[in-house]
Amino acid sequence: MNEKAAADGTARLAAPPRVRRFGLVNWRGVWTLYQREVKRFLKVFTQTICAPIVTTLLFYTIFSIALHDRVRVVSDVPFVVFLAPGLIMMAILQNSFQNCSSSIMVAKVQGNIVDVLMPPMSPLELICGYLGGGVTRGILVGAVTTIVMTVVAGFPFHDIGAIVYFGIAASAMLCLLGMIGGIWAEKFDHMAAITNFVVVPLSFLSGTFYSIGRLPEMWQTIAHLNPFFYAIDGFRYGFIGQGDAPLWLGMLVLAGIDVVLFFIVHRMLVTGYKLKS
Amino acid sequence: MSTDAPHEPILGGAPSARRFGAVNWRGLATFYLREMQRGFKIWKITLAAPAIRALLFASVFGLAIDRPDATMAGMPFLEFLVPGLIAVAALERAFESSSFSIVYDKTEGIFADLSMLPLTPGEIVLGYAAATVSGSLMVAAVVWAALLVFGGGLPHAPLALLFFISAGSLMVGLFSQISGLWSRKWDYIISVQTFIFMPFVFLSGVFFSLGELSDSARDVARFNPVFYVVDGIRFALTGYGEADPYLAAAVSLGVVVLLWVAAYRLFAIGYRFKS
Repeated sequence: MNEKAAADGTARLAAPPRVRRFGLVNWRGVWTLYQREVKRFLKVFTQTICAPIVTTLLFYTIFSIALHDRVRVVSDVPFVVFLAPGLIMMAILQNSFQNCSSSIMVAKVQGNIVDVLMPPMSPLELICGYLGGGVTRGILVGAVTTIVMTVVAGFPFHDIGAIVYFGIAASAMLCLLGMIGGIWAEKFDHMAAITNFVVVPLSFLSGTFYSIGRLPEMWQTIAHLNPFFYAIDGFRYGFIGQGDAPLWLGMLVLAGIDVVLFFIVHRMLVTGYKLKS
Repeated sequence: MSTDAPHEPILGGAPSARRFGAVNWRGLATFYLREMQRGFKIWKITLAAPAIRALLFASVFGLAIDRPDATMAGMPFLEFLVPGLIAVAALERAFESSSFSIVYDKTEGIFADLSMLPLTPGEIVLGYAAATVSGSLMVAAVVWAALLVFGGGLPHAPLALLFFISAGSLMVGLFSQISGLWSRKWDYIISVQTFIFMPFVFLSGVFFSLGELSDSARDVARFNPVFYVVDGIRFALTGYGEADPYLAAAVSLGVVVLLWVAAYRLFAIGYRFKS
């Protein structure tokens, strides 16, 4: 029997390597891409984790000092408590966007995007890998900032479920947007333009610093067309238990946008838009 | 006459060296123009983006403050805020101009070429500094014009405004040169920006009067040289300053001189670029 095993072993060594088989989903591929994405940002964690946290805390300090007794928000919620979830969500949004967009952008500029397109992975699996990496970064930044702010300022947790749902759904939305941006952009200038002229304005005007309900009619209507508003409003509801829009509407809007964006990215990868020539 | 000029190249002979006096003006001008072109080739990022950001900040604060009587240091909040936003835009540009250019050259491996140019360390520092100041003045002008929609108007003391924006951008620009020399990679300079530059700028009274702080915090804030720059800019625009304008000018100039000497020294010894 020993002899037979030994013979088998040598036979196997001599034979050409076989094709690795996988089922419906190439789990190992997705997992590998996910790990690559996570390691990519962890390697420079001072830039990707510490910097956004410090910046968020800095803005929190400044806005608290500048605005605390000058802004009326929802009744019986102090301004500093109202402000915190919005700033955390802004950090989640910006970092999720940055992770996915820069990963694809850098790979395109350096020419190693083929290393992602060549492996036996379907577009669906590619999206999941990138999405996982970006959401991990967004949530990591958000979670650490939340913990620090809770320790420093101390604020309530009304509904952990809403916090988690809106955190992840919003992070996914910006990851997908980042992937679209990364695939579309040809130079770093294009990427900077999307960040400066789309992502930053949408996140600033989303109701982080004020309650939408107090705005003039026209501004309220405009705000309700901004998907970032639902992300921040729902996320804030999770903390303070009050929101400007109905909770179910925010959940539906985010889920809907995530699905639509997912299909767009999928379509881009299937057709090889700006990726395969 | 031209035939016996000593520097006239003789056809077929070796070209003679170009001569210049105590200062290599042409070299300096070339170096300055290169730095300017680098910054403003991407004007959408260097001019339009700061203007949009300033407009966003002003709109957000304008929308957030729903009390008409909301004031800061006795003046309407937006009037207090506008000078701060102009200062931030000018100083951010000043930080990014020299350091990003230096670090970019380092990662491309061409930064050491600087030591082969017929430029003295003093001329290099001056070239970077001049580009920084002109860039910051341009950004400040654009942001000022954009913010006119929120009120404001002609500056209270135009010469003082020119002085404080120049001094502030020199201060930050020289600091940026030093940080650029110190940085081996992008990570370094981004860390300096996030962990040193941004706190110094944003805690300097850009968005709030130091009167909002507790006594001990206010004493600490007064040690921040950027406070004097921002306060000077606010004085020049609105006529209201928290510190004596002459004190602000003296502190700004003093810090600029110190940083200039330090930057000169580092370029002279070839810190982290000549080995």
